[in-house]
Amino acid sequence: MANYAEGMKKPDDEGLPEAKTKWLDAYHDPVASLYTFTQCLALSDIHADGDCKLIIADLGTGSYNMKLKVYKNTNLLSEHTIIDLPTGVVTFYMDVLEPRTAAIAVASGPYIYVYKNLRPYFKFTLPPLEVDQLEQDLWNQAANDDINLFVLREALDTLRLEGKTLTVRSLRFIQLEANDLENFVNLHKSSPLKRQTVITCLKTLKKSMADEDAISCLVLGTENRSIYVLDPEAFTVLSTMELPSVPVFISVNGLYDVEYRIVAACRNGCIYTLKRGTAEGAKYTIELNSQPVGLERINKSIYVGCMDETMHCFTSKGKKLWTVKLPSSITTMETMDYKPRAFAAVLVALNNCEVHIYKEKYLVDVIKMPDVITGMKFGKFGREDGTLVMTTRGGGLFVKILKRSTVFEEKNLVSGPPAAQNIKLNVPKKTKLFVDQTLRERENAVEMHRTFQRDLYLLRLRTARDYARALENSMNPISSDPTEPIKLSAQVQGIGPTFKLTVNLQNTSLTIPSSNLVVTFDYDNGLYSFRKTFIQVPMLVPGLNYSFETFIDCLNDKGISDDIKVYVLKQSRSIPIVTGVISMPVSEGIVVV
Amino acid sequence: MGLLDKLAEFLGIKKKEANILVIGLDNSGKSTIINQLKPPEAKNHDIVPTVGFSVEKVKSKNLSFTMFDMSGQGRYRNLWEAYYKECHGIVFVIDSADKLRMVVAKDELDLLLEHPDIKKRRIPVLFFANKKDLRDAVSSVKCSTLLGLSQIKEKPWHICDSDALTGEGLHEGVEWLTDQIKDLVAGK
Repeated sequence: MANYAEGMKKPDDEGLPEAKTKWLDAYHDPVASLYTFTQCLALSDIHADGDCKLIIADLGTGSYNMKLKVYKNTNLLSEHTIIDLPTGVVTFYMDVLEPRTAAIAVASGPYIYVYKNLRPYFKFTLPPLEVDQLEQDLWNQAANDDINLFVLREALDTLRLEGKTLTVRSLRFIQLEANDLENFVNLHKSSPLKRQTVITCLKTLKKSMADEDAISCLVLGTENRSIYVLDPEAFTVLSTMELPSVPVFISVNGLYDVEYRIVAACRNGCIYTLKRGTAEGAKYTIELNSQPVGLERINKSIYVGCMDETMHCFTSKGKKLWTVKLPSSITTMETMDYKPRAFAAVLVALNNCEVHIYKEKYLVDVIKMPDVITGMKFGKFGREDGTLVMTTRGGGLFVKILKRSTVFEEKNLVSGPPAAQNIKLNVPKKTKLFVDQTLRERENAVEMHRTFQRDLYLLRLRTARDYARALENSMNPISSDPTEPIKLSAQVQGIGPTFKLTVNLQNTSLTIPSSNLVVTFDYDNGLYSFRKTFIQVPMLVPGLNYSFETFIDCLNDKGISDDIKVYVLKQSRSIPIVTGVISMPVSEGIVVV
Repeated sequence: MGLLDKLAEFLGIKKKEANILVIGLDNSGKSTIINQLKPPEAKNHDIVPTVGFSVEKVKSKNLSFTMFDMSGQGRYRNLWEAYYKECHGIVFVIDSADKLRMVVAKDELDLLLEHPDIKKRRIPVLFFANKKDLRDAVSSVKCSTLLGLSQIKEKPWHICDSDALTGEGLHEGVEWLTDQIKDLVAGK
C-alpha cells in the first residue's frame, strides 16, 4: 500500500511568510514567447569564460518557428533555426582541446545536431532500421512496374495487419486516395526504401573520468524501444540496449568505461534499469500506477512523478520508499543540486502555478508563480551557482536566484494536527423549553404513550381507507394496476386567460409497452374552455417520457379558479387508470385600456 | 602618540590612516579599481580572481587608505563580515552590465547594512557602478534604483559611474570618500 507521507497536506498561506522567501527574483519576462520543456533547457559554459549561458530549444508553434536560442545574461546571444521539433538539448565535452568549450547537442527527429562555438558542427543520423523483406520486394516490383498499384496497396495493408512495422513511405501510401497513388509511386519508387526511428530523449554519460569537464557520451532513447550510447568523438554507436517499451524519460549516471546505470521511464508506465553489460534487457522493473510525467534521480533514490498527482520514491533496486500526494497535477520535475551547501532536492512544478521543493519526502519550500511552469532548470547561470530558470506555459521566462543566506529546514513546512481538527462541531443548544418538556415526559410517560398509540391506530385506519378509495376511483397519478404501469404528471404554464397544459406520461415498466390509451379532462364548462378535450395517446414505449399539450381559455374574468382533473383511460374501460388533479391559477384576465 | 607625531600631523606631513573595505560580487572589478588607484609604478598588469582577500595600501590627498580587497565569490562572501568592525569606509562595487545579479548585489548590500557591526555606525558607503564602458551597462541612476539606495538613511552614500580599466570616475569617488572620512575622523 502507498505510504502517504505528511506532505499530502496543503501548505497554508500563512505558513510561508513573504519576508522569509528563499529566492531572489532576478529576471522576469512574461512575454518572452519561449515555448519549451525541461528536456529542452540547458545551462552551460559554452565559451569557457566562466559565464554560463542558457540554451533553449524553443518549440515555437510546434510546426514552424523552432529555434535554438542562447541567452547570455538576459540578452539573446544567438539564434539558430531547427528543422524539426526538438526533443532534447544537452551540452557535453566532445574533445580534450583547450579552452574547454562545450558542444551543444539538439535531438530532433532522427538526427542529433551538434553545435560547437555556436556554429553547426556535425549532424548525426540514427542508424536506419531493417526493412521487412516482403515490403522491400513489393516496392522493388513497383519500381519495375510489375505490380498493380491497388494490389500493392492491398499487400502492404495485409503486412501492416499482420503486425509488421512498415516504413513511413508504405504507411503514407496506404492512406492515399486512389487517384494520388500513381503520382506517389512515380515520385518515390526510385529512391531506396529505408526505415528510421525518432529520438525521444537525450542525456549524457561521462566516458572515463568523472570530472566536470570530462568527455561525455550521448545517451539517447528512441521510438523503436532502444537506447543508444554514442561515442563523443567519432559519433559511432558504442552500445545498443533494448527496452520492452518506448523510453520517455531517462536518467544516467556512472562512467561508460567503468560502470553505469540507466533508468528509463517508459510509455507503458514502467521503469526499467539497465546496467553496463546488460545489453539483452532491463534488470529491475518498477510498475507504476499511472503514466510517469517526470523522472529524477538523486544518489540512489529514483523520484517519479505520476499523472495521478503523486510522487513516488524508489531505491535503485526498485523498492518503494514513500509516496507523496500533491495538491495538483505535475507539469514537470527537475533536480536541484546546490553544491555550495551540499543540498539536493527535487523541484516539482504543479498545475496550480506552484513549484514545490521536496527534500526527500519533506516539502521544504513552495514558490508561487504567476503562470504554470512547463520548463525548469537549476544550475549555474551567468556567474551565480544557485539559479533556477523557469519557462511558463504562456511563454514567459523567469529567473530566480537562491539567496546566499538560505537554509532549508529538512522537515515539513507545516506541522502539527491537521486543520480539520480545529473546526467546531455544530451541536444545537438546548433551551429551558426542552428541559420542561423532558420533565413533563418523565411524569406522564404512560399516558403519553397510550394516547400516541391510539392516535397511531386511527391514523393507520384512515390512511388505509383513503388509499382504498383512491384505488377504487384510480385517483392516483401513478398506476397501481400491474398490467398498466403508467406515471402521470401535468403542469400549467402561462398567466391567462389562455394557459398551456402539458401532460407528461411515462411507462414505468421495464418491458411491457402500453397502448390504446387516451387522455381526457374533467372541468367546469362555464369556467374553462379546452381547445382539445380528448387526446389519443400513441403506444408508450417503456422508459420514455411523452408529453401532450393543450390550451385552456379561461372564460371568467372575475378572478375565479377551479381544479381540473386529467384522466388517462384505457379504451373500452370506463374507470381511469391514473388521474391527476391540477389546481388552476387565477387568470390575470384581459386588461382593457 | 608622541609629540613629534602630533607635530607631523599638524603640519600635514604624516597622513591619517583609514581602513576601507572593498566588497562586491565576483567579477565586478574590485581588484581592478584598487589597482587603478595605485601609483603607476606599483600597478599590476594581470588581475586574477582574488582568493580570500588581499590588503593594499593606497594614498589619497591627505589620507592613507588600507584597502581590504575581498573576494566576491559566493564561497568567500561570509569572510566579509569579519572585517566590518575595523573599517572606516566601504566601497561597494557593482557590475552595471550584469543585470541578472543586481538582485544578488542588493541582497548582499541589505545583509551588510543589517549587520550589527555596521547598522549603528555612520560609515560612508561609496558605490561604483563599474564597467560603464560596456554596451549593456545601466547608468548609475538606474543602478541606485535597482539597489534601492534611496532607502539608506543613516549613512552617507554616493554612487558614481566608473570604468576601472581606464580609471574614469574613480577619482571623483575617492575624493568623496576622503572628504567623508576626514569629517568622520575630525569629528571624533
